[in-house]
Amino acid sequence: MQTKPTTFHFLLFIVSGLLLATLSLVWWNSSRQPQPIELIPTLTGETEYCLTCHADLPEISASHPVETFGCVSCHGGERLALNADLAHSTMRGGGNPSALSVVETSCGGSNCHSGSEADDRHHIQRVTTSVQSTYAGAISNILFTFGAQPDLTARFGIAAITDENSKTGITALQAFDPLNANHPSVQKFGEECLTCHLHAEPREGEAFARETGCAACHTTGEHNLTTAIPYTQCNACHNRGNYDLRTMTFVERTDHPTQRIDDYYQPIAQFTQCEYTLDCVDCHTRSEVMGDGDIHNDQASIEYVQCKTCHGALEELPLTKTLTDPNDIAFTLAFLNPVVDLKLGDTILITEKGEPLWNTKVLPDGTYEMIGKATKQYFTFKPVMGTACEQKPDEQESHYCHECHAVEK
Amino acid sequence: MTQISRRDFLKLAREGFLYLSAALATGSLLRFLSYAPASEQKTEFDLGSVDNYPVGSRTSIPEIPALLIHAESGFTALSLTCTHLGCTLEPNNNGFACPCHNSAFDAEGNVTQGPAVKPLRSLRIQITDENTIIAYTD
Repeated sequence: MQTKPTTFHFLLFIVSGLLLATLSLVWWNSSRQPQPIELIPTLTGETEYCLTCHADLPEISASHPVETFGCVSCHGGERLALNADLAHSTMRGGGNPSALSVVETSCGGSNCHSGSEADDRHHIQRVTTSVQSTYAGAISNILFTFGAQPDLTARFGIAAITDENSKTGITALQAFDPLNANHPSVQKFGEECLTCHLHAEPREGEAFARETGCAACHTTGEHNLTTAIPYTQCNACHNRGNYDLRTMTFVERTDHPTQRIDDYYQPIAQFTQCEYTLDCVDCHTRSEVMGDGDIHNDQASIEYVQCKTCHGALEELPLTKTLTDPNDIAFTLAFLNPVVDLKLGDTILITEKGEPLWNTKVLPDGTYEMIGKATKQYFTFKPVMGTACEQKPDEQESHYCHECHAVEK
Repeated sequence: MTQISRRDFLKLAREGFLYLSAALATGSLLRFLSYAPASEQKTEFDLGSVDNYPVGSRTSIPEIPALLIHAESGFTALSLTCTHLGCTLEPNNNGFACPCHNSAFDAEGNVTQGPAVKPLRSLRIQITDENTIIAYTD
């Protein structure tokens, strides 16, 4: 059958119109693509275009400048993609590359955060074996309480870990699977209480994306990493609500307290002035919080700093150390959070395990000075020795000190 | 007013569409070809005439970054990229310090404080027949 000339011309008109419309659409779409911003980080030497969309992000920390690290070495992703979905498709840990399931790839490496113990660069190994990550103590308590294990020895963690060199005698933890539990309360515990520890899968939602892994402590704002950690960061988990043991649920608080001593903490809690004035990290050490590299049974077996660590006892002054080695870890810590200008020859307080309280100094008059790691406030304090304190040598836990020194609320 | 036939209108419109399509296709092709491919890291740097660097001078070259040293024995260049993770070093009274992780190097590039463990790299220097200094980072 032959097409009529008029119909043929009309078809040609339609086809050329469609061609023009298609090409116009392609042109318009390509015009919407942003002008690529190229970055070649020193560390990788490979071009990446992430700054095309993310140039407005603040520098994550002075130790991780974008010119050196770029974005991809930590976050993953498709470095050459200009389409957001494609660029983000292979990111590690979603919005949290420090999630412990991917942290070795994101933050590890012998020069970074999984170096040797001798260099004090085994941060990832310490964190993954820490009680903050394993939740071992709570899990063993629940299992023991409901008859699922004969004692309080830790056998399970949120994820399976092994450490053949662990000095605590616990060399491995199995992954706790609440579905294997017989008791409904243990199952409920597994469903409700395992989302807020460092090795856990975070809860759904952008607000919870950085509440696990390293970011849970070290990310205090938009795109930052810091060791100046305020108490509010710790309390995002540690003062977030209460356990309801009847229903085995966690009841989140809904209030927005502003007065730290009066309504921020639980009414029955007692505090001395330093406990509600300082930040948690001013006293609690790296090994207590991040772990010491060994698998511990529970929180009580890793926490050790007491009032006497800074104040001493009736018969003994607190331990001190004069800094003579420029490679002392105290200088590294003070460099990362420069609230104090430490110098060779300065004398600082140290803990019973020898950890430096690098934000302290022994003053010439025998008193001590502490600089808040997050607040940069100066505090001075005296030793117990030489005062009228009636403290007994074997009563050093904080509740003994609270008997005289708790602040009236 | 001249009447235009339906056939002429269709022809005119069709040709207009085709010309515009050709222009858009050519433009799209040129735009595609104009995209610069991903750059490779520069490894060769023209530092200008030797006359700009008198004997005894130690000149910082931020573009590399490096320190160009003109001693009696000739020209040498010390990379100012930290051997730990690649941050750019800053000069101080004792040599160079890393602003990222506090590594320190003396004026000759030897490590005086970790975490860096390797000394600073010496860069290859070439002086051309026109007395121009070329530094190579590869």
